[in-house]
Amino acid sequence: MRPSPTRRLAGLGAFVLAVIMLTAIVELFPNTVVGAAIGGALATAGSILGIMDSAYAASALRLSVPIAFAALGGIFAERSGVINIGLEGLLILSAFTGVAVAHWLTGDGTTAVGPGIVLLLVIAVLLAVAGALLGLLGDTTGEIAVRAGGGVLATAALAGLTVALAGPTLAATWLAFYTAVLVSTAFALLFAVVTIEYRADQVIAGLAVWLIALGVAPFASNVIWGAVNSPGVDTLGTWTVPGLSELPVLGTVLFNAGPVVYFLLLATPLSWYVLAHTSFGYWVRASGENPKALDTAGVDVRRVRYAAVLLSGVFSGIGGAGLSLGRVGSFVGSGTTMIDGRGWIGITAMLFGNYNPFGAFGASLLFAALDALQFRLQQLNYAVPDSLMQTVPYVTVIIVLALVGRTRTPDAAGEHYESDED
Amino acid sequence: MSAPAVDLRQITKQFPGVLANDEVDLTVERGSVHALLGENGAGKTTLMNVLYGLYRPTGGTVVIDGEPRTFDSPRDAIDAGIGMIHQHFMLVEPMTVTQNIVLGNEPQKWGGLAVDRERAREAVAELADRYGFDVDPTATVEDLSVGEQQRIEILKALYRGADVLILDEPTAVLTPQEVEELFGVFDELTEAGKTIIFISHKLSEVTTAADAVTVLRDGKDVGTVDADSVTDTELAELMVGREVLFDTDKPPVELGDIGLATRDLVVEDDRGVRAVDGVDLQVAEGEVFGIAGVDGNGQSELVDALTGMATPAAGQVFLGNEDVTHAPRRQRIDDGMAYVPEDRQARGLVMSYDLTENGLLGSQRDPQFASSGRIRWDDAETHADDIIEEYDVRPADADAAAHSLSGGNQQKFIVGREFARDPDAVVASHPTRGVDVGSVEFIHDQLLGLREEGTAVLLVSSKLDEVRGLSDRLGVMHDGELVDVVDPEEITEEELGLLMAGERPPDVPKATRRVGGEAQ
Amino acid sequence: MNPDRLPGPIAGLMGRLVDASAGERLAVSVAALLTAILIGGVVTLVAGVFATCSDPILGPFCYNPLAVYRYLFLAPLSDPFVLQETLKNSALLLFTGLAVAVSFRAGLFNIGTQGQLVLGALAAALVAVRVGPAAPDGAVGGVLIAGVAMLAGAVVGGLYAAIPGALKAYADANEVITTIMLNFIASDVAFFLVSAYFQKPGSGSVETRDVPAAATFGPGLALAMAVLLVLAVTYLLWGTAFGYDLRTAGIQPDAADYAGVDAKRMMVTSMTLSGAIGGLGGAVWVLMSVGRWVNGVPALGFDGITVSVLASNNPLGVLFAGPLFGSMQAGSLSIDFQLGVPRQLVGVIRGLVILLVAMPELFRTLGVRWGMGGVR
Repeated sequence: MRPSPTRRLAGLGAFVLAVIMLTAIVELFPNTVVGAAIGGALATAGSILGIMDSAYAASALRLSVPIAFAALGGIFAERSGVINIGLEGLLILSAFTGVAVAHWLTGDGTTAVGPGIVLLLVIAVLLAVAGALLGLLGDTTGEIAVRAGGGVLATAALAGLTVALAGPTLAATWLAFYTAVLVSTAFALLFAVVTIEYRADQVIAGLAVWLIALGVAPFASNVIWGAVNSPGVDTLGTWTVPGLSELPVLGTVLFNAGPVVYFLLLATPLSWYVLAHTSFGYWVRASGENPKALDTAGVDVRRVRYAAVLLSGVFSGIGGAGLSLGRVGSFVGSGTTMIDGRGWIGITAMLFGNYNPFGAFGASLLFAALDALQFRLQQLNYAVPDSLMQTVPYVTVIIVLALVGRTRTPDAAGEHYESDED
Repeated sequence: MSAPAVDLRQITKQFPGVLANDEVDLTVERGSVHALLGENGAGKTTLMNVLYGLYRPTGGTVVIDGEPRTFDSPRDAIDAGIGMIHQHFMLVEPMTVTQNIVLGNEPQKWGGLAVDRERAREAVAELADRYGFDVDPTATVEDLSVGEQQRIEILKALYRGADVLILDEPTAVLTPQEVEELFGVFDELTEAGKTIIFISHKLSEVTTAADAVTVLRDGKDVGTVDADSVTDTELAELMVGREVLFDTDKPPVELGDIGLATRDLVVEDDRGVRAVDGVDLQVAEGEVFGIAGVDGNGQSELVDALTGMATPAAGQVFLGNEDVTHAPRRQRIDDGMAYVPEDRQARGLVMSYDLTENGLLGSQRDPQFASSGRIRWDDAETHADDIIEEYDVRPADADAAAHSLSGGNQQKFIVGREFARDPDAVVASHPTRGVDVGSVEFIHDQLLGLREEGTAVLLVSSKLDEVRGLSDRLGVMHDGELVDVVDPEEITEEELGLLMAGERPPDVPKATRRVGGEAQ
Repeated sequence: MNPDRLPGPIAGLMGRLVDASAGERLAVSVAALLTAILIGGVVTLVAGVFATCSDPILGPFCYNPLAVYRYLFLAPLSDPFVLQETLKNSALLLFTGLAVAVSFRAGLFNIGTQGQLVLGALAAALVAVRVGPAAPDGAVGGVLIAGVAMLAGAVVGGLYAAIPGALKAYADANEVITTIMLNFIASDVAFFLVSAYFQKPGSGSVETRDVPAAATFGPGLALAMAVLLVLAVTYLLWGTAFGYDLRTAGIQPDAADYAGVDAKRMMVTSMTLSGAIGGLGGAVWVLMSVGRWVNGVPALGFDGITVSVLASNNPLGVLFAGPLFGSMQAGSLSIDFQLGVPRQLVGVIRGLVILLVAMPELFRTLGVRWGMGGVR
């Protein structure tokens, strides 16, 4: 028996609520009987509760960024019928690209915004041309010109606005972020072409994207920096909401966070809205469940699937660059890179969340909370060895997969679709 | 008189190696119900796919309302007011009725930022109201019955402004009573000025529901007749080109012990619904026990539980007098059960294997072909050659991959392989589906031959003439239950129809055979 | 090939193995490999623009792709050290390629060969170190220790692979994700075990004590064992009822059910078999390459995926694809030392090969367009 979506959501909700409540209690009543009682009752492994303060919650939210964005991207792709298990690779590529471009623009103590804008626009133009050549932007020349031109202009406007609003170094970092998102999107486009145009096995092609990224990022790091790890770069900093950030608990967790955290808090409900309430969302679902129904209703399944896969690239780009530029401020390319399986965990979060953006977000938060716990315990010098603590999220993923079992995968997921026209 | 709604002139459609339509003419008057009659493979569906823009014709003209048209895609056909209801519904099951109907044409609000669900629901409700359809716009499609889903498909076409509705074998999945409701819908629609074309190979339906009938045979049209004045016999002759006599000769056979039986069998489907609900049946050695019923009433699940493809939720399955309820499939094969599966391309054959390897499917550990786990490929190939020869499988090449065979030849190979096991019990699920007429008779003869050798045969088929002709006793399934076991020679088609719909007409001729000394 | 002209059993086996589409798959693999090499060359050339070097080959280009490929494929011929490394890598990739091929044939994406290899290697090293003092001196003792160590590697690798197999069979957990998670877990756990309990005294890196020298062997023996294993697995898959069951379960699970194959048990069995081969590869890595378990096990498991995919998951194809990548891996050290081109380039090519083999449709289209009858 598979658990019903309601049960699944209820479980997730309970977990998230429990974390928030525990955090709030400990934060609000640190020295009271209630706090102590709860603390005493639950702190089986030393004083875990002492760790679960609002800083812990904030760090869990920060850590959930790459996982949750990968999960959101995966939702769009898979619900449209394309299983994108290359998300891990897209995260790696965007994490690397962000740092590489940021280092290029801001390294050596000088800052150059101009080349960043040029690079960004060149990639945007290339993407637009590729989209036009693949027939994704429309049927008539006018339509194609308007859409391609509009896309490039919008990118230019965004870059211009960023430069106008932020100081040169911060602007350069943002330009690097945008570039990373576009590069991730470009790789998603490659994956889409391979699977949709050339009918590649989606699982194998996704593995290939991962393995390519696992080779390319350290390779390029070595070329540029002579080592697989990059030197440090500036991060995107934090956005503090005036007034609200003074609130207890919530202020620390929600209103004094990195910009990418805000993006995530925005992207989750937006994704849900798009899937549930817009025509595009209807088409994505139909394309994954019964592409022929969509085709006979006169909607181009191919374009819907391209759009969904590209979206997974955009989201993964935000997640990957959000990790490297938003939080860490460097790229680590040794071993399994700094992404270290977060894309795979994102896929699990997507399954656990039953392809629902809110569910996936909650599940991502759960995995991130475990990750944060591990960091905190390490910081506090608990006796548990690092290397064992590091396995906790991975073990949890396996347990979750075993408990969730078969989710209701979209009927046509993984299947190539060919319109009947001869 | 106005121009006909649809006028197909000299339509030819050539596929690689197959001439599917050969200069077919079809004229359909506005506001009429027109039937397209023919055997499987006569070219009916191809012709309709041409009209719907799915195929471009090799030759000929499509004229709609007096205007010649060229359709590059269904989109063009939809714009010209043509709607098609496919045999396999084009519905997105987890989505609601409304979402399915408006798919691709969703009413928008907020400048396209959201689907206007209110307006969509109203439009659907209004449409349903106008044609007297009883549907709940907010229901999820997968919760609806097949008949209701079909009406959603019709509404979908109407929502897109269809004036001409094409229905591909609309009655194949319906009970006789649902069929009647569908024909009622036809009346509503034609009164509102819509034109209906429906594909069928059932004579009685055609004469009941249609105004005019066009008969196709081997891709050619062999004439259009007035449905009111034509007789079934005349239509049948047009269809097959010769007089059909379908009578199977069954010599009496001494019955043995019980070969195959179930007791209070309950099988649940993936969703936990009882697909088979308390079925008791006994098939004696030397008897053909037929199962009739509309597809999807638990026959597949019953077969799965009998053959070991599924584990029942409750009850027992017996092979001979051995309880095999929880015995794995392997043991049932070893104990002498043969099984002709319904889905030959998923189960019955490994499509990428050649016939030698496919001949081993199920017998890969049989000492006849394997000694201590090592397969003797020479023997396997000889075995495949024997089946090929005896059952006239073409191409006669044991090295040919299964996917390179036509459906009929694939089926013959499976039947040959299973019957060659020298089984004690046979479960045959739609053994002649998609097989040419000559092979059908051959397979029937083989089945009856097994019966004479004292094999217990359970035959599931949706072809009523087949189950009636071959069975000694006939069980009727409805909604997972074995409604009744009747005498196939005495029962009328009407009574059978009622039983298939789950009703119990009075005085049905019961099967009176005695099985294994026990009264039924 | 006409199977009828060969003696009975072998003819049957060969006939099974080489079917009509084998030629097409071979063409696709070769085309994919060449394309990957071409793209890899362009990547190298472009990457050279961003690198800093004292003597660029031309204008801004620091790296010479032709020199890179000369090292990757031809260095073994001129440099005895690289030749030695090539033979070692080839042997190891035969094991991992075969391990992956077995699971893919069974329809299971075992991405966890890496983790199975890591733990198999650890088990082999620990057993060899432990058994060493008790074993008799000389060659007999060496054979004994090596045998027990390899057995331990196979058992541990097999058991570790049985976990995702069982999770897939009985809890419906996606094996791609579980095996990748188990890779992470394997390296973390191995690191922990060695650093906490089995650390070589006085060593700065995380590694076990050395295995007895008598138990170690050279690449020649390893290659011989690998080839024998490839042949044995080929026979198992195409000559036995078990192989028939495994292949049928992999290619068409419904038909396997129909044929009386216990699908769930087959998942566990085939994963265990695959993991045992991977674990054996780990044992060989310990006994042949390093003489102990040391942290930072090379990505032989991932290369195994490439080898298997390039070989269309055909064991006999692995015999060619394994040494090809073995040579590239060995040469990657040379390009790093001699040319300053980062050795991760081979990782890029590895991914490209998988991507390109996954899209046979591309080469079909090209083949038809260029009028090459050979492909279609």
